Amino acid sequence: MKKILAVARWEYIEKVKTKAFIISLIITPLIIISFSILPSLLFRDEMPKTEIIGIIDTSAIYFEELEDEFKEYTLPDGNPNYILINMAFQNKNYQQLLEIANKNIQKNLIEGCLIIHQTETDSIYGEFRATSIGNFKSVKRFEDALSAIKLKKKLTQEGIDTKIIEYFQDRVNVEQLKVEESGKVSSKDFLTTFFVSIIFILLLMMMVVYSGQMLVRSMIEEKSSRLIEMLVSSSTPDELLTGKIIGLSLLGLTQIFIWVVIGLSLVAGALIPPSAFDNVLPMLIYFLLGFLFYSSLFVGIGSTVNTEQEAQQITTYLSLTLMLPVVIAMPAIQNPDFLMTKIFSYIPLTTPTVMLLRLNVESVSSLEIILTISILIVSIIVVTKVSAKIFRIGILAYGTRPSIKEIIEWIKE
Amino acid sequence: MLIVKNLVKKFKTTLAVNDLSFTVNPGNIFGLLGPNGAGKTTTIRAILNIIKPTSGEIIFNNNPITDEYYNIIGYLPEERGLYKRSKVIDVLIYFASLKNLTKSEALDRADFWLNRLKISEYRDKKIEQLSKGNQQKVQLIAAILHNPQLLILDEPFTGFDPINQQEVKNLILSFLSEGKTIILSTHQMELAEKLCDEILLLNYGKAVSSGKLTDIKKNFGGNNIRLGFNGDHSFLNNFPDIIKFDHYKNYTDIQLKEEVLPSEFLKKIIEKTEVNHFSIIEPTLNKIFIDLIKENVEQE
Repeated sequence: MKKILAVARWEYIEKVKTKAFIISLIITPLIIISFSILPSLLFRDEMPKTEIIGIIDTSAIYFEELEDEFKEYTLPDGNPNYILINMAFQNKNYQQLLEIANKNIQKNLIEGCLIIHQTETDSIYGEFRATSIGNFKSVKRFEDALSAIKLKKKLTQEGIDTKIIEYFQDRVNVEQLKVEESGKVSSKDFLTTFFVSIIFILLLMMMVVYSGQMLVRSMIEEKSSRLIEMLVSSSTPDELLTGKIIGLSLLGLTQIFIWVVIGLSLVAGALIPPSAFDNVLPMLIYFLLGFLFYSSLFVGIGSTVNTEQEAQQITTYLSLTLMLPVVIAMPAIQNPDFLMTKIFSYIPLTTPTVMLLRLNVESVSSLEIILTISILIVSIIVVTKVSAKIFRIGILAYGTRPSIKEIIEWIKE
Repeated sequence: MLIVKNLVKKFKTTLAVNDLSFTVNPGNIFGLLGPNGAGKTTTIRAILNIIKPTSGEIIFNNNPITDEYYNIIGYLPEERGLYKRSKVIDVLIYFASLKNLTKSEALDRADFWLNRLKISEYRDKKIEQLSKGNQQKVQLIAAILHNPQLLILDEPFTGFDPINQQEVKNLILSFLSEGKTIILSTHQMELAEKLCDEILLLNYGKAVSSGKLTDIKKNFGGNNIRLGFNGDHSFLNNFPDIIKFDHYKNYTDIQLKEEVLPSEFLKKIIEKTEVNHFSIIEPTLNKIFIDLIKENVEQE
């Protein structure tokens, strides 16, 4: 036991001190978080700027009402979101009006210009000109407003009661709510929850890849310098293996701790709503178990490689399996009963990451959580046992990498 | 005292060690010699308890080797290397802790040895900042820090310059006087000849020869002389006392029949030619080694 601790201590302290670790510790989560949050920030926020939009209403019946409708939209600071300018000047023909509008758009004097035609069949044809065609939000508002105005006009023409018209015009908003297992209803922002899962998955992946690579690299160093012979003439391979896994896990815990601190400070900074951390306990469990699972896998596989290139190959394959949930994320979200996600939830290699995703996008039954966690724990024990056998022989096998057949023989020995 | 009894280690198809038995006495240096692939490393690993022998017994101080023996065994592997990016003192303390030393014990001893091997100024440097020779000294310290009773040194002198070789040699000899058991594995025959009291010559996993070095030499046809003379050497063919001779540029090595006294032979030869050098030579370990291995090959 003393020796296990000595190995764990060495593995932890010598790696914690490395520059690579310190960089991975701070830079990685910052990059991931900024990349994950940035799009949601851009998506949600009102542009805090009043937009000036020209209107060329060839039928001359919609401008005023459009202006009325658009007074509804205000910026957070109380200023109007839109200023609409009637650009259907009296003494110009249609072609000239278009030219004037284009010039103003090019000079950035107006954000864009909406052209409204009324066709003979009473339907409206709209055209929005701007320097870019990405202003979906404003265009959607114009569409809504014009449809509403058109309907109101028709109904008034037909002599319908204004109360009924108002009734028609009352827009219905649908808000998305998520029902939790506990019966609690939360109004989590879908994008945020999704990003939180992705952040966790990416963090797990980075952590496994970083520490796995560190572990394998140090094992290659020990093997190539025959240091390992001095180690195994001082302690049993099992002590070494256990010490290494503990040391690596401590390293992982350090990472998690610092990342949680970063996460909490982000919550405090209100960048992530605290509701995104509702499932934090099961998430941490999957995270830790996933890390342990991959660590024990790495120790076994790492003992069979002799060169950096071989190590790189193996870590690449393993990290690809970690990326799987990102691939199946969309079908999993659209259809939580998607068979593939269920299957992947029960394969230890993908359990941690797939469950991290599912926890946030759907309600997972407690039974499933208990079942997957049990499978994961059992697999960790099995993998550690098998890894120990491979490790015992692998660390002393130099030269060519052993074939799968040979490794199976080692395990049977 | 280390006793190895009928040690056999079989890997899938190859028999790495084939029924090997020997005894190493404390206060002696035991030479484990043999060409590459002879089974030296496998034998050492079995003694170190790194690998399980297929059959056979290893007994140290009347007890079979168990996990507890890890703490009284010191091992210097043939190929050298340490944690390059770690500090000298940290590495030494780590190895000491794996031998169950407390930190303060380890610190005291590490400082003692760093001083003794004159590398104390590198105490807090990273291993990679040290010269190769000094790195090897650190590794040697790591192998002996816990004051092992059984010390196994695999090619301890390679990589050291002559001055440091002398230093390491003195160190090893000082262990002997403390009554440690030392196994020296090498293929540097001259060194083994200088240091070892007993040797075991290994080839293809089998003992080719073993015992006291002096006995081995005696048994190996010991009646050899070296002769320097002027002129043609063909007259040697006519001497019935000679078993065989090897003619070199400046002298000739001659193996005489067992019953012939070298001084009598010298009298006879002086009559035939002008002798400018005469000496009695023992066969070198190197020669014994090569001849024995050749013999072995021919028998197979």
